[in-house]
Amino acid sequence: MEIPLHISIVLIFSPLLLGIIGKTKAFFAGRWGPPLLQPYYDIVKLFRKGSVYSTSTTWIFQAAPIVCMAAALTSSMLMPMGGLKAPLPFWGDILLFAGLYGLARFIMILAALDTGSSFEGMGASREATFSCLAEIVLFLDFIIMALLTKKLVLSQMVGDVLSSSWHTAGAVFLLMGGSYYMVLLTENARIPVDDPATHLELTMIHEVMVLDHSGWDLGLILYGSTVKLFVLGALLINILLPSHNQSVLIQMVEFFVGMMVLALSMGVVESCMARLRLNRIPQLLMVAFVLALVGLLVVLNKGM
Amino acid sequence: MLWLDLALISIVFLGIVILGNNRLRTTIQLFALQSFILSLVPLMVHPGVHAMILSVGTFILKVVIMPTLFFWAIRHVSIRREAQPLISYGKTLLLGGFLIGVAFLISSRLDLPDKGISNLLVPCAFSVIMIGFLLLVSRFKAITQIIGYLVMENGIFLFAQLLLEKTPLLVEMGILLDIFVGVLVMGIVVNHISQEFDSASTVNLINLRG
Repeated sequence: MEIPLHISIVLIFSPLLLGIIGKTKAFFAGRWGPPLLQPYYDIVKLFRKGSVYSTSTTWIFQAAPIVCMAAALTSSMLMPMGGLKAPLPFWGDILLFAGLYGLARFIMILAALDTGSSFEGMGASREATFSCLAEIVLFLDFIIMALLTKKLVLSQMVGDVLSSSWHTAGAVFLLMGGSYYMVLLTENARIPVDDPATHLELTMIHEVMVLDHSGWDLGLILYGSTVKLFVLGALLINILLPSHNQSVLIQMVEFFVGMMVLALSMGVVESCMARLRLNRIPQLLMVAFVLALVGLLVVLNKGM
Repeated sequence: MLWLDLALISIVFLGIVILGNNRLRTTIQLFALQSFILSLVPLMVHPGVHAMILSVGTFILKVVIMPTLFFWAIRHVSIRREAQPLISYGKTLLLGGFLIGVAFLISSRLDLPDKGISNLLVPCAFSVIMIGFLLLVSRFKAITQIIGYLVMENGIFLFAQLLLEKTPLLVEMGILLDIFVGVLVMGIVVNHISQEFDSASTVNLINLRG
């Protein structure tokens, strides 16, 4: 019973985040903007269409969107959301959590190479470069959390124990949250790293890899990326707003308000910043790396 | 204690951001912000009249006067950004992370008589000193170098918080005055460099003739 509930929450609410980001950006630009539910309309529209496959592609190209969606949904099984416990926690699932996104990225890169287009190959190489830098930071943050809580299960690492160390190690949370936010922006191809709105520029990263997908497949990729945003965002909310022993309802409300504030903040970042030049992106991730490193040093220094 | 830790970490954080920044205007603003947080630290360590005077003195000098002076200077010599640092930004950041690690290592070995305040104070002070030092050696523009020097001084100021109760106020005021005069002299030097060479890069000072 828990698993369908978890999946339905993720599936129902994840496109809303994109809608909030879109509305925020429109507000800053002084426009009315697309309706809040536009991502839902987009996904439904794409699901109703048929797919076109190039004759040079193989089954990998068709499998990629399904694998992406499946990986994102599976990772949501490990993530507690507000009052809801994670349905499938096990010892060391933190590696699976990171590995699932690695798998999704791997199959997307293969699919991009599968089309034989040099344009997509370029995007694939960029995606690989930046995500491997982001992954180091992600794991440093995981190490900090593991050291603080002495646990290796994701749902326990972000639970009660973490919230009790807020008072002793508040500074570490600041560093960890800051560096993880940069990872979040990188992983979800949001603005300082990648511009999700451009489709015809040589500078784009993630969007260039899905150029050849259409219809149902494109819908799955879009949906999968919103699920990824939701689950990775939920991790940040769980770190900054750890669950405590109050009623499920209050925790759920807190969780969803937190997610909306997160989407708002991403919209604000996207409105205030321009996309960074490609050679400046490693520098951004380097800042995230140094932040996480300092956090780790502080934790080690405190001997916790 | 939580607030002191937060302040110390944000001082180191701002140091890291200064390292990775290439716009002079933003660098000065970041330095002012760092000094503002720094000026609050004495109040958290030893609340009292002594700390109050020190805090206000630091605030006036480092948050108000010096940034104003810098803004005046960059308007005067019209430079906007550090075009070519000696070590590229990415490498500087990585080196900065390494140096912070070294700072934590050193301070864990250091045998201090008094560890009562916060066990983050000494490592953070060392880290900020290291960051300032790195900024000083890795940049060519005179103004960035002065900011590097001041960031280093911020670290020394942090370190001096350990001895806040024991140091006479006169000594601290003397130090602040020294720094102010130092920066003033450096400002004049920058002005002269830019008048002589049409740029504020210290590379020009390597040659014997202009």
